[in-house]
Amino acid sequence: MSLPLSRTALPAALLVVIAAWAWLLQGQSGGRDLAFSLLAGAAFGIVLQRGRFCFLCNFRDFIERREPRGLIAIIVALAAGVLLYHVVTMAWVPTPRPGRLPPNAHIGPVGPVLAVAAFAFGLGMAISGSCLSAHFYRLGEGSPTSPFALVGAAAGFLLGFLSWNPLFSLAIYASPAIWLPHQLGYTGTILASLGLLAVLAVLVLRFANPASATAEARFDLSGIAARVFVERWPPVVAGFLVAVISAMAFLRVAPLGVTAELGSIVRTAGFSAGLLPDTLHGLDLLRGCATVVKETLLSPNGLFVIGLVLASFAAALAAGQFKPQRPTGAQIVRGLCGGILMGWGAMTGLGCTVGVLLSGIHAGALSGWVFLAFCTLGVWLGLLAMRRIAA
Amino acid sequence: MNHLKWAGALAGAFLVAGAAGAAEPLVSAEWLQDNLDNPDVRVFEVSVDTGVYERGHIPGAVHLDWHTELVDPTRRDIASREEFEAKLRDAGITGDTQIVLYGDNNNWFAAWGAWVFDVYGIEVSLLDGGRKLWEAQGLPLDTNVRDYADSDITLPERNGDLRARLTDVLDIAEGRLAAKLVDIRSNDEYTGKIFAPEGVKELAVRAGHIPTAENVPWGTIVQEDGTFKSPEEIKAIYAAKGIDGSQPIVTYCRIGERSSHTWFALKRILGYDAKNYDGSWTEYGNAVGVPVVNVAGTVWTGK
Repeated sequence: MSLPLSRTALPAALLVVIAAWAWLLQGQSGGRDLAFSLLAGAAFGIVLQRGRFCFLCNFRDFIERREPRGLIAIIVALAAGVLLYHVVTMAWVPTPRPGRLPPNAHIGPVGPVLAVAAFAFGLGMAISGSCLSAHFYRLGEGSPTSPFALVGAAAGFLLGFLSWNPLFSLAIYASPAIWLPHQLGYTGTILASLGLLAVLAVLVLRFANPASATAEARFDLSGIAARVFVERWPPVVAGFLVAVISAMAFLRVAPLGVTAELGSIVRTAGFSAGLLPDTLHGLDLLRGCATVVKETLLSPNGLFVIGLVLASFAAALAAGQFKPQRPTGAQIVRGLCGGILMGWGAMTGLGCTVGVLLSGIHAGALSGWVFLAFCTLGVWLGLLAMRRIAA
Repeated sequence: MNHLKWAGALAGAFLVAGAAGAAEPLVSAEWLQDNLDNPDVRVFEVSVDTGVYERGHIPGAVHLDWHTELVDPTRRDIASREEFEAKLRDAGITGDTQIVLYGDNNNWFAAWGAWVFDVYGIEVSLLDGGRKLWEAQGLPLDTNVRDYADSDITLPERNGDLRARLTDVLDIAEGRLAAKLVDIRSNDEYTGKIFAPEGVKELAVRAGHIPTAENVPWGTIVQEDGTFKSPEEIKAIYAAKGIDGSQPIVTYCRIGERSSHTWFALKRILGYDAKNYDGSWTEYGNAVGVPVVNVAGTVWTGK
């Protein structure tokens, strides 16, 4: 079994670099959060790449080929995460009294703007071929579209900041941040969340194509190595690991999110260039994958994303799935256009499929469910439109 | 001889009782570590950043949320006697409890909490160095929130001797009252060069300082690790600016919370007569018709 160095030594070296960097970061002031974020991002990147955990691709697989595994992975991630998150929130906020929210949890404003933002994000996902977190991990696979999608997202963020003040005065100021335990209590929230996810799982499995059974795998070194390093991880494993990373990150640093750093870079650059208004009304008081005017080069979210990309690169290399290609004109256009929609949606919705959908549903925020519903709608219509255009 | 012995014993008892009532201004991390399980010691954390307490606090520490439990959220004022009393009862505070406060950001808001406690008649101690020191020394943190048995402590009315109001500060500025003003903000804010540090939302319409105020930025009296400098050093730093305790002192900053840190040093560590002006520059700099010293000549919204 002779594999080239690019599939063994190089990925190992990358992981060593990440570990060494985390160790160095520990010594700085505030370094423990930075080091943890880097490592959590790396873990997340590996799970995303190995599990092919992309909201869009999984949805598209189901719509086009009735392949259920990806959606099941997402449903498992949401369900397990709800339980793990509640272990933490119930310790931090024993009684969900009105006015009390678990610190930093992504419980965002629910209103028409969120719905439109999620819809736009879904459209962007369908057009560009992935959600933002998947574009980050796809960078590690050498995807030709992803760099353009991220550039487009930056532009979308700028447009989002420019449209923020009118949207805030129009609707967001009155959109309440609804935390389900306030209405349903913790038990009610857990039961309702798990119940709804169970219904979705049943629907997915009901309409699944039964022909995609896997062959019995060899339980020896090469068989297991193939299952771990090359083949797609089983949906339950991938989903559960995503849930664990999400809850651990919340316990230690902050809820998961991938757009805070990108948005903050755009916000800081936009301010310096005089493109943005002096005040973004109310933005800093709202919960979500928050953007700030950057004061330091390294931030927890920035390191999380860097860890994500590097580790997913390592995982892709090991799997022989790093396949850089020259981007075609169509890929560039789709990436940019989809990216702009996603960037705008992520800014006005205060996060993306990770920051609002995943972290929101985990925390018991109604905003997570609203994002799920409207994003799915946007994805579905977007895929229909893309098929029409292609036909 | 018997009467003398009795008198001596009585005098001794009074001395001991008096000492037991007063709290040490600062406690060390070693002392606190040794007293974590002492039922007569209660620790409170007053941190600025969200989620810091929940993610790890000194074992047994109670969370004092500066946002909601030290202030009145509707009108600009400190917490009402009833609300603060309820909080202390819930934390099981009695007349014998020794209270220690600590927090992030160099104990800024812990000092402010200490001032609020003092206004309601309870002297507390600060953990010298705060969270920063505790974490730097790798001392244990835990996420467990303890539920203490309720007490029935009653709080007196607010002690106005510790709090300066706008009228008091105006009396000093216009020379009707002999007292010293200490502005603990950065020199740029004091001279009027900037209205407030970058990104800050609590602003004033005018820049500068209150006439006759001396500028001693709060950081001057702390060391690198967040602990206070020695009492002798602190005394010398203020004496160099003409503040030696011979006159009453009023401290202020932008919003009145950080100035409690300096108030704590002056009143509790040095024993001077000091009040905190918690309205601070956000009140004074926005008040109509008050005298302002603006050395830098910055005009609001103008260049």
